[in-house]
Amino acid sequence: MNKLLITLLSTALSASLLANPGPDNREPAVIVEETTTALLDELDSRRAEFTENPALLREMVNRDMLRLIDTDYSARLILGRAGRGMETEKMDDFASAMSDHLLSRYADGLLSFEADTRPEVLPLRGNNSEKLTRVRTRFKLDDGGFVPVDFAFRKTEQGWKAFDVTIEGISYVLTYRNQISPLVAKDGIEKVTADIRAGNLLLED
Amino acid sequence: MTARCLAIVMVAIMAFGSIGCSGAQVQPTDPQRDPWEAYNRKVHAFNMGVDRYLMKPVAKGYDTVMPDAPQRGVRNFFRNLSYPVTFLNLLLQGKPEAAMDATGRFLVNTTLGLGGFFDVASKGGLPRFDEDMGQTLAVWGWTESRYLVMPFIGPYTVRDLLGRSFYGYFHPISYMVREYDAYYLIAIDLVTLRAELLSFDIQIQNASDPYVLVRDVYLQNREFKIYDGEPPAPDYDALLEDF
Repeated sequence: MNKLLITLLSTALSASLLANPGPDNREPAVIVEETTTALLDELDSRRAEFTENPALLREMVNRDMLRLIDTDYSARLILGRAGRGMETEKMDDFASAMSDHLLSRYADGLLSFEADTRPEVLPLRGNNSEKLTRVRTRFKLDDGGFVPVDFAFRKTEQGWKAFDVTIEGISYVLTYRNQISPLVAKDGIEKVTADIRAGNLLLED
Repeated sequence: MTARCLAIVMVAIMAFGSIGCSGAQVQPTDPQRDPWEAYNRKVHAFNMGVDRYLMKPVAKGYDTVMPDAPQRGVRNFFRNLSYPVTFLNLLLQGKPEAAMDATGRFLVNTTLGLGGFFDVASKGGLPRFDEDMGQTLAVWGWTESRYLVMPFIGPYTVRDLLGRSFYGYFHPISYMVREYDAYYLIAIDLVTLRAELLSFDIQIQNASDPYVLVRDVYLQNREFKIYDGEPPAPDYDALLEDF
Protein backbone atom coordinates (compact mmCIF):
# COMPACT_ATOMS: atom_id res chain seq x y z
CA MET A 1 0.00 0.00 0.00
CA ASN A 2 2.74 2.38 1.05
CA LYS A 3 4.84 1.35 -1.90
CA LEU A 4 2.01 2.02 -4.30
CA LEU A 5 1.47 5.45 -2.80
CA ILE A 6 5.12 6.33 -3.11
CA THR A 7 5.21 5.15 -6.69
CA LEU A 8 2.13 7.18 -7.53
CA LEU A 9 3.49 10.24 -5.78
CA SER A 10 6.87 10.03 -7.42
CA THR A 11 5.33 9.56 -10.86
CA ALA A 12 3.15 12.58 -10.31
CA LEU A 13 6.13 14.55 -9.08
CA SER A 14 8.39 13.65 -11.99
CA ALA A 15 5.58 14.38 -14.41
CA SER A 16 5.12 17.83 -12.96
CA LEU A 17 8.87 18.36 -12.99
CA LEU A 18 8.98 17.45 -16.66
CA ALA A 19 6.17 19.82 -17.39
CA ASN A 20 7.90 22.65 -15.52
CA PRO A 21 11.61 22.13 -15.94
CA GLY A 22 12.35 25.39 -14.10
CA PRO A 23 13.86 28.55 -15.54
CA ASP A 24 15.98 28.21 -18.64
CA ASN A 25 19.28 29.93 -17.88
CA ARG A 26 20.69 29.83 -21.37
CA GLU A 27 21.60 33.01 -23.24
CA PRO A 28 19.37 33.81 -26.26
CA ALA A 29 22.13 33.14 -28.81
CA VAL A 30 22.73 29.72 -27.26
CA ILE A 31 19.02 28.95 -27.31
CA VAL A 32 18.80 29.76 -31.03
CA GLU A 33 21.93 27.83 -31.90
CA GLU A 34 21.07 24.71 -29.89
CA THR A 35 17.43 24.60 -30.90
CA THR A 36 17.97 25.02 -34.63
CA THR A 37 20.93 22.63 -34.70
CA ALA A 38 18.99 19.93 -32.83
CA LEU A 39 15.94 20.38 -35.07
CA LEU A 40 17.90 20.31 -38.31
CA ASP A 41 19.91 17.26 -37.16
CA GLU A 42 16.71 15.43 -36.38
CA LEU A 43 15.23 16.52 -39.69
CA ASP A 44 18.25 15.31 -41.65
CA SER A 45 18.21 11.88 -40.08
CA ARG A 46 14.44 11.36 -40.44
CA ARG A 47 13.71 13.34 -43.61
CA ALA A 48 11.95 10.48 -45.43
CA GLU A 49 9.69 9.83 -42.47
CA PHE A 50 8.79 13.52 -42.10
CA THR A 51 8.20 14.00 -45.82
CA GLU A 52 5.67 11.18 -45.69
CA ASN A 53 4.06 12.53 -42.54
CA PRO A 54 4.57 16.29 -42.11
CA ALA A 55 2.29 16.28 -39.06
CA LEU A 56 5.00 14.37 -37.19
CA LEU A 57 7.51 17.15 -37.82
CA ARG A 58 4.98 19.78 -36.76
CA GLU A 59 4.49 17.91 -33.52
CA MET A 60 8.20 17.79 -32.91
CA VAL A 61 8.69 21.49 -33.69
CA ASN A 62 5.79 22.32 -31.38
CA ARG A 63 7.21 20.22 -28.57
CA ASP A 64 10.71 21.69 -28.82
CA MET A 65 9.92 25.31 -29.59
CA LEU A 66 6.67 26.33 -27.94
CA ARG A 67 8.27 26.70 -24.52
CA LEU A 68 10.86 29.04 -26.01
CA ILE A 69 8.25 31.50 -27.27
CA ASP A 70 6.48 34.17 -25.29
CA THR A 71 3.19 33.59 -27.09
CA ASP A 72 1.25 35.86 -24.76
CA TYR A 73 3.52 38.85 -25.30
CA SER A 74 3.53 38.34 -29.10
CA ALA A 75 -0.25 38.20 -29.09
CA ARG A 76 -0.52 41.42 -27.12
CA LEU A 77 1.85 43.18 -29.52
CA ILE A 78 -0.12 41.93 -32.52
CA LEU A 79 -3.52 42.88 -31.12
CA GLY A 80 -2.50 46.32 -29.97
CA ARG A 81 -5.50 48.52 -29.31
CA ALA A 82 -7.88 45.81 -30.55
CA GLY A 83 -6.95 43.70 -27.52
CA ARG A 84 -7.66 46.36 -24.94
CA GLY A 85 -9.76 45.00 -22.07
CA MET A 86 -10.02 41.59 -23.69
CA GLU A 87 -10.81 38.59 -21.46
CA THR A 88 -7.71 36.56 -20.60
CA GLU A 89 -9.27 33.37 -21.93
CA LYS A 90 -9.93 34.81 -25.39
CA MET A 91 -6.48 36.34 -25.47
CA ASP A 92 -4.87 32.99 -24.56
CA ASP A 93 -6.90 31.22 -27.19
CA PHE A 94 -5.80 33.73 -29.82
CA ALA A 95 -2.16 33.48 -28.66
CA SER A 96 -2.15 29.71 -28.96
CA ALA A 97 -3.84 29.78 -32.39
CA MET A 98 -1.16 32.19 -33.61
CA SER A 99 1.74 30.14 -32.26
CA ASP A 100 0.30 26.87 -33.61
CA HIS A 101 -0.08 28.49 -36.99
CA LEU A 102 3.40 29.98 -36.96
CA LEU A 103 5.08 26.78 -35.79
CA SER A 104 3.37 24.56 -38.33
CA ARG A 105 4.32 26.99 -41.10
CA TYR A 106 7.86 26.91 -39.72
CA ALA A 107 7.89 23.11 -39.73
CA ASP A 108 6.67 23.02 -43.34
CA GLY A 109 9.33 25.56 -44.25
CA LEU A 110 12.03 23.45 -42.62
CA LEU A 111 10.96 20.46 -44.65
CA SER A 112 11.42 22.34 -47.92
CA PHE A 113 14.81 23.65 -46.76
CA GLU A 114 17.19 21.21 -48.43
CA ALA A 115 20.57 22.79 -47.87
CA ASP A 116 22.50 21.02 -45.14
CA THR A 117 24.04 24.20 -43.79
CA ARG A 118 23.37 25.42 -40.28
CA PRO A 119 22.41 29.00 -39.51
CA GLU A 120 25.30 31.17 -38.51
CA VAL A 121 24.79 33.23 -35.32
CA LEU A 122 26.23 36.72 -35.81
CA PRO A 123 27.73 38.89 -33.07
CA LEU A 124 25.48 41.10 -30.97
CA ARG A 125 24.74 44.56 -32.40
CA GLY A 126 22.48 47.50 -31.71
CA ASN A 127 20.50 48.18 -28.57
CA ASN A 128 20.47 45.24 -26.20
CA SER A 129 19.45 45.41 -22.57
CA GLU A 130 19.01 43.12 -19.57
CA LYS A 131 15.41 42.61 -20.61
CA LEU A 132 15.40 42.78 -24.40
CA THR A 133 17.84 41.57 -27.02
CA ARG A 134 18.07 40.46 -30.63
CA VAL A 135 19.83 37.38 -31.94
CA ARG A 136 20.97 37.86 -35.53
CA THR A 137 21.46 34.80 -37.68
CA ARG A 138 21.81 34.09 -41.37
CA PHE A 139 21.13 31.08 -43.53
CA LYS A 140 23.40 30.46 -46.46
CA LEU A 141 21.68 29.66 -49.75
CA ASP A 142 22.87 27.37 -52.55
CA ASP A 143 23.72 30.32 -54.79
CA GLY A 144 26.07 31.86 -52.21
CA GLY A 145 23.58 34.48 -50.97
CA PHE A 146 22.27 34.77 -47.42
CA VAL A 147 18.87 35.08 -45.82
CA PRO A 148 19.14 37.08 -42.61
CA VAL A 149 16.80 35.96 -39.83
CA ASP A 150 16.68 37.85 -36.50
CA PHE A 151 14.95 36.73 -33.32
CA ALA A 152 13.80 39.23 -30.69
CA PHE A 153 14.02 37.90 -27.13
CA ARG A 154 12.75 39.21 -23.81
CA LYS A 155 13.57 38.07 -20.30
CA THR A 156 10.71 36.33 -18.50
CA GLU A 157 10.50 34.46 -15.20
CA GLN A 158 11.16 31.24 -17.11
CA GLY A 159 14.26 32.67 -18.78
CA TRP A 160 14.74 34.28 -22.19
CA LYS A 161 11.88 33.78 -24.62
CA ALA A 162 11.50 34.78 -28.27
CA PHE A 163 8.56 36.96 -29.28
CA ASP A 164 9.35 38.21 -32.79
CA VAL A 165 11.15 36.94 -35.85
CA THR A 166 12.39 39.20 -38.65
CA ILE A 167 13.25 37.83 -42.08
CA GLU A 168 15.09 40.21 -44.41
CA GLY A 169 13.91 43.07 -42.26
CA ILE A 170 10.25 42.03 -42.29
CA SER A 171 8.93 41.59 -38.77
CA TYR A 172 6.36 38.92 -38.01
CA VAL A 173 4.79 40.96 -35.21
CA LEU A 174 4.54 44.23 -37.17
CA THR A 175 3.23 42.61 -40.33
CA TYR A 176 0.63 40.48 -38.55
CA ARG A 177 -0.40 43.40 -36.39
CA ASN A 178 -1.33 45.51 -39.40
CA GLN A 179 -3.33 42.65 -40.90
CA ILE A 180 -5.01 41.31 -37.81
CA SER A 181 -5.83 44.22 -35.53
CA PRO A 182 -8.28 45.81 -38.03
CA LEU A 183 -9.92 42.40 -38.49
CA VAL A 184 -10.32 41.97 -34.75
CA ALA A 185 -11.83 45.42 -34.50
CA LYS A 186 -14.26 44.54 -37.30
CA ASP A 187 -15.17 40.86 -36.78
CA GLY A 188 -14.29 40.22 -33.14
CA ILE A 189 -11.53 38.08 -31.67
CA GLU A 190 -13.48 34.79 -31.71
CA LYS A 191 -14.00 34.83 -35.46
CA VAL A 192 -10.39 35.82 -36.13
CA THR A 193 -9.08 33.06 -33.83
CA ALA A 194 -11.34 30.52 -35.56
CA ASP A 195 -10.16 31.70 -39.00
CA ILE A 196 -6.52 31.34 -37.99
CA ARG A 197 -7.18 27.81 -36.73
CA ALA A 198 -9.02 26.94 -39.93
CA GLY A 199 -6.06 28.17 -41.97
CA ASN A 200 -8.03 30.96 -43.61
CA LEU A 201 -5.48 33.59 -42.67
CA LEU A 202 -2.10 32.85 -44.17
CA LEU A 203 0.32 35.69 -44.37
CA GLU A 204 3.96 35.06 -43.86
CA ASP A 205 6.35 32.94 -45.85
CA MET B 1 6.64 59.05 -76.32
CA THR B 2 6.70 56.80 -73.26
CA ALA B 3 6.44 59.73 -70.91
CA ARG B 4 3.32 60.89 -72.72
CA CYS B 5 1.79 57.39 -72.62
CA LEU B 6 2.43 57.25 -68.90
CA ALA B 7 0.86 60.65 -68.37
CA ILE B 8 -2.26 59.57 -70.26
CA VAL B 9 -2.50 56.40 -68.20
CA MET B 10 -2.09 58.39 -64.98
CA VAL B 11 -4.89 60.75 -65.95
CA ALA B 12 -7.06 57.79 -66.93
CA ILE B 13 -6.48 56.15 -63.56
CA MET B 14 -7.30 59.31 -61.65
CA ALA B 15 -10.48 59.86 -63.66
CA PHE B 16 -11.56 56.25 -63.65
CA GLY B 17 -10.66 55.86 -60.03
CA SER B 18 -12.57 58.89 -58.88
CA ILE B 19 -15.68 57.78 -60.76
CA GLY B 20 -15.43 54.14 -59.75
CA CYS B 21 -14.78 54.74 -56.10
CA SER B 22 -16.73 57.89 -55.39
CA GLY B 23 -18.58 57.60 -52.11
CA ALA B 24 -16.48 54.69 -50.84
CA GLN B 25 -14.55 56.10 -47.88
CA VAL B 26 -11.39 54.25 -46.96
CA GLN B 27 -10.37 54.40 -43.32
CA PRO B 28 -6.73 55.58 -43.31
CA THR B 29 -4.49 52.81 -41.97
CA ASP B 30 -1.23 54.74 -41.62
CA PRO B 31 -1.82 58.48 -42.01
CA GLN B 32 1.75 59.30 -41.08
CA ARG B 33 3.65 57.25 -43.66
CA ASP B 34 0.83 56.87 -46.17
CA PRO B 35 -1.20 60.09 -46.30
CA TRP B 36 -2.11 59.45 -49.97
CA GLU B 37 -3.64 56.06 -49.19
CA ALA B 38 -6.87 56.66 -51.11
CA TYR B 39 -4.95 57.44 -54.31
CA ASN B 40 -2.38 54.72 -53.66
CA ARG B 41 -5.07 52.07 -53.27
CA LYS B 42 -6.48 52.96 -56.68
CA VAL B 43 -3.12 52.63 -58.38
CA HIS B 44 -2.50 49.40 -56.46
CA ALA B 45 -5.79 48.01 -57.80
CA PHE B 46 -4.81 49.08 -61.32
CA ASN B 47 -1.39 47.40 -60.95
CA MET B 48 -3.01 44.21 -59.69
CA GLY B 49 -5.15 44.21 -62.84
CA VAL B 50 -2.12 44.70 -65.10
CA ASP B 51 -0.38 41.97 -63.17
CA ARG B 52 -3.26 39.56 -63.38
CA TYR B 53 -3.87 39.90 -67.11
CA LEU B 54 -0.39 40.67 -68.40
CA MET B 55 2.65 40.33 -66.15
CA LYS B 56 1.72 37.21 -64.25
CA PRO B 57 0.67 35.08 -67.25
CA VAL B 58 3.87 36.02 -69.11
CA ALA B 59 6.03 35.39 -66.03
CA LYS B 60 4.29 32.05 -65.45
CA GLY B 61 4.89 31.01 -69.04
CA TYR B 62 8.55 31.96 -68.72
CA ASP B 63 8.79 30.09 -65.42
CA THR B 64 7.28 26.96 -67.00
CA VAL B 65 9.48 26.99 -70.08
CA MET B 66 12.76 28.02 -68.50
CA PRO B 67 14.53 25.68 -66.06
CA ASP B 68 15.65 27.11 -62.71
CA ALA B 69 19.37 27.35 -63.45
CA PRO B 70 19.17 29.61 -66.54
CA GLN B 71 16.48 31.65 -64.74
CA ARG B 72 18.95 32.31 -61.96
CA GLY B 73 21.55 33.12 -64.61
CA VAL B 74 19.38 35.81 -66.18
CA ARG B 75 18.71 37.38 -62.78
CA ASN B 76 22.45 37.31 -62.03
CA PHE B 77 23.08 39.03 -65.36
CA PHE B 78 20.71 41.91 -64.57
CA ARG B 79 21.99 42.21 -61.01
CA ASN B 80 25.55 42.40 -62.28
CA LEU B 81 24.51 45.20 -64.65
CA SER B 82 23.48 47.41 -61.75
CA TYR B 83 27.14 47.70 -60.74
CA PRO B 84 27.64 51.34 -61.89
CA VAL B 85 24.67 52.38 -59.72
CA THR B 86 25.92 50.39 -56.73
CA PHE B 87 29.47 51.69 -57.10
CA LEU B 88 28.44 55.33 -57.36
CA ASN B 89 26.12 55.11 -54.36
CA LEU B 90 28.65 53.30 -52.19
CA LEU B 91 31.00 56.21 -52.86
CA LEU B 92 28.27 58.77 -52.16
CA GLN B 93 27.57 57.04 -48.86
CA GLY B 94 31.24 57.23 -47.91
CA LYS B 95 32.08 53.54 -48.26
CA PRO B 96 35.10 53.48 -50.58
CA GLU B 97 36.24 50.03 -49.42
CA ALA B 98 32.87 48.51 -50.19
CA ALA B 99 32.96 50.30 -53.56
CA MET B 100 36.26 48.55 -54.30
CA ASP B 101 34.78 45.20 -53.27
CA ALA B 102 31.80 45.84 -55.54
CA THR B 103 34.22 46.55 -58.38
CA GLY B 104 36.01 43.27 -57.66
CA ARG B 105 32.69 41.46 -57.75
CA PHE B 106 31.73 43.05 -61.03
CA LEU B 107 35.07 42.19 -62.67
CA VAL B 108 35.01 38.58 -61.41
CA ASN B 109 31.44 37.98 -62.45
CA THR B 110 31.80 39.69 -65.82
CA THR B 111 34.88 37.64 -66.74
CA LEU B 112 34.85 34.31 -64.88
CA GLY B 113 31.08 34.48 -64.54
CA LEU B 114 30.73 34.77 -68.33
CA GLY B 115 29.17 38.20 -68.60
CA GLY B 116 27.49 38.02 -65.22
CA PHE B 117 25.35 34.92 -65.78
CA PHE B 118 27.19 33.08 -63.04
CA ASP B 119 27.58 34.70 -59.65
CA VAL B 120 30.99 33.19 -58.96
CA ALA B 121 31.88 36.09 -56.64
CA SER B 122 29.18 35.17 -54.09
CA LYS B 123 30.30 31.55 -54.14
CA GLY B 124 33.83 32.77 -53.47
CA GLY B 125 32.66 34.80 -50.48
CA LEU B 126 32.54 38.30 -52.01
CA PRO B 127 29.34 39.77 -50.60
CA ARG B 128 26.65 41.28 -52.81
CA PHE B 129 25.92 44.99 -52.32
CA ASP B 130 22.51 46.45 -52.80
CA GLU B 131 22.67 50.25 -53.02
CA ASP B 132 20.76 52.87 -54.93
CA MET B 133 20.19 56.63 -54.88
CA GLY B 134 17.09 56.34 -52.70
CA GLN B 135 19.18 54.65 -50.01
CA THR B 136 21.87 57.31 -50.38
CA LEU B 137 19.29 60.08 -49.86
CA ALA B 138 18.15 58.24 -46.72
CA VAL B 139 21.71 57.96 -45.44
CA TRP B 140 22.10 61.68 -46.08
CA GLY B 141 19.22 62.33 -43.72
CA TRP B 142 15.97 61.94 -45.67
CA THR B 143 14.81 59.10 -43.43
CA GLU B 144 11.04 59.59 -43.53
CA SER B 145 9.32 59.69 -46.88
CA ARG B 146 5.74 59.27 -48.02
CA TYR B 147 4.61 56.00 -49.53
CA LEU B 148 3.66 56.30 -53.18
CA VAL B 149 2.36 53.57 -55.49
CA MET B 150 3.27 54.15 -59.14
CA PRO B 151 1.41 52.72 -62.13
CA PHE B 152 3.17 49.63 -63.54
CA ILE B 153 6.33 49.94 -61.43
CA GLY B 154 4.61 49.57 -58.06
CA PRO B 155 5.55 50.57 -54.51
CA TYR B 156 7.88 53.52 -53.88
CA THR B 157 8.41 56.37 -51.53
CA VAL B 158 8.80 59.91 -52.87
CA ARG B 159 12.47 59.70 -51.93
CA ASP B 160 13.04 56.38 -53.68
CA LEU B 161 11.20 57.45 -56.82
CA LEU B 162 13.36 60.55 -57.02
CA GLY B 163 16.40 58.37 -56.36
CA ARG B 164 15.38 56.06 -59.15
CA SER B 165 15.11 58.85 -61.66
CA PHE B 166 18.66 59.94 -60.75
CA TYR B 167 20.33 56.58 -60.70
CA GLY B 168 18.35 55.32 -63.65
CA TYR B 169 20.55 57.58 -65.72
CA PHE B 170 23.65 55.62 -64.76
CA HIS B 171 22.09 52.22 -65.27
CA PRO B 172 23.38 50.36 -68.34
CA ILE B 173 19.82 49.37 -69.26
CA SER B 174 18.57 52.94 -69.39
CA TYR B 175 21.66 53.83 -71.41
CA MET B 176 20.75 51.07 -73.91
CA VAL B 177 17.18 52.34 -74.04
CA ARG B 178 18.31 55.95 -74.56
CA GLU B 179 20.87 55.19 -77.21
CA TYR B 180 19.50 52.13 -78.98
CA ASP B 181 15.79 52.00 -78.10
CA ALA B 182 16.47 48.62 -76.49
CA TYR B 183 13.11 48.46 -74.70
CA TYR B 184 13.16 44.68 -74.81
CA LEU B 185 15.79 44.79 -72.04
CA ILE B 186 13.30 46.43 -69.69
CA ALA B 187 10.68 43.84 -70.64
CA ILE B 188 13.05 40.93 -69.94
CA ASP B 189 14.17 42.46 -66.66
CA LEU B 190 10.57 42.92 -65.49
CA VAL B 191 9.32 39.50 -66.58
CA THR B 192 12.22 37.63 -65.00
CA LEU B 193 11.89 39.67 -61.81
CA ARG B 194 8.17 38.92 -61.71
CA ALA B 195 8.88 35.20 -62.19
CA GLU B 196 11.19 35.33 -59.18
CA LEU B 197 8.32 36.70 -57.09
CA LEU B 198 5.68 34.15 -58.18
CA SER B 199 6.01 32.17 -54.97
CA PHE B 200 4.80 35.19 -52.94
CA ASP B 201 1.49 35.42 -54.78
CA ILE B 202 -0.29 33.06 -52.46
CA GLN B 203 0.55 35.15 -49.39
CA ILE B 204 -0.59 38.36 -51.04
CA GLN B 205 -3.82 36.77 -52.24
CA ASN B 206 -4.58 35.33 -48.83
CA ALA B 207 -3.83 38.47 -46.88
CA SER B 208 -6.84 40.13 -45.33
CA ASP B 209 -5.59 43.44 -46.76
CA PRO B 210 -3.14 42.81 -49.63
CA TYR B 211 -2.50 46.53 -50.08
CA VAL B 212 -1.31 46.89 -46.49
CA LEU B 213 0.76 43.71 -46.74
CA VAL B 214 2.60 44.94 -49.82
CA ARG B 215 3.17 48.34 -48.19
CA ASP B 216 4.47 46.76 -44.98
CA VAL B 217 6.81 44.40 -46.76
CA TYR B 218 8.10 47.16 -49.04
CA LEU B 219 8.69 49.75 -46.32
CA GLN B 220 10.24 47.32 -43.83
CA ASN B 221 12.52 45.79 -46.43
CA ARG B 222 13.54 49.26 -47.65
CA GLU B 223 14.49 50.26 -44.09
CA PHE B 224 16.47 47.03 -43.83
CA LYS B 225 18.43 47.91 -46.98
CA ILE B 226 19.02 51.52 -45.95
CA TYR B 227 20.65 50.29 -42.74
CA ASP B 228 22.60 47.62 -44.65
CA GLY B 229 20.79 44.79 -42.90
CA GLU B 230 20.93 46.24 -39.39
CA PRO B 231 17.91 48.50 -38.89
CA PRO B 232 17.04 49.59 -35.36
CA ALA B 233 14.60 47.25 -33.63
CA PRO B 234 10.93 48.19 -33.75
CA ASP B 235 9.75 50.11 -30.70
CA TYR B 236 7.89 47.21 -29.10
CA ASP B 237 7.09 49.22 -25.96
CA ALA B 238 5.23 51.74 -28.09
CA LEU B 239 3.15 48.91 -29.57
CA LEU B 240 2.16 47.90 -26.06
CA GLU B 241 1.40 51.42 -24.90
CA ASP B 242 -1.18 51.43 -27.62
CA PHE B 243 -2.65 48.37 -25.92
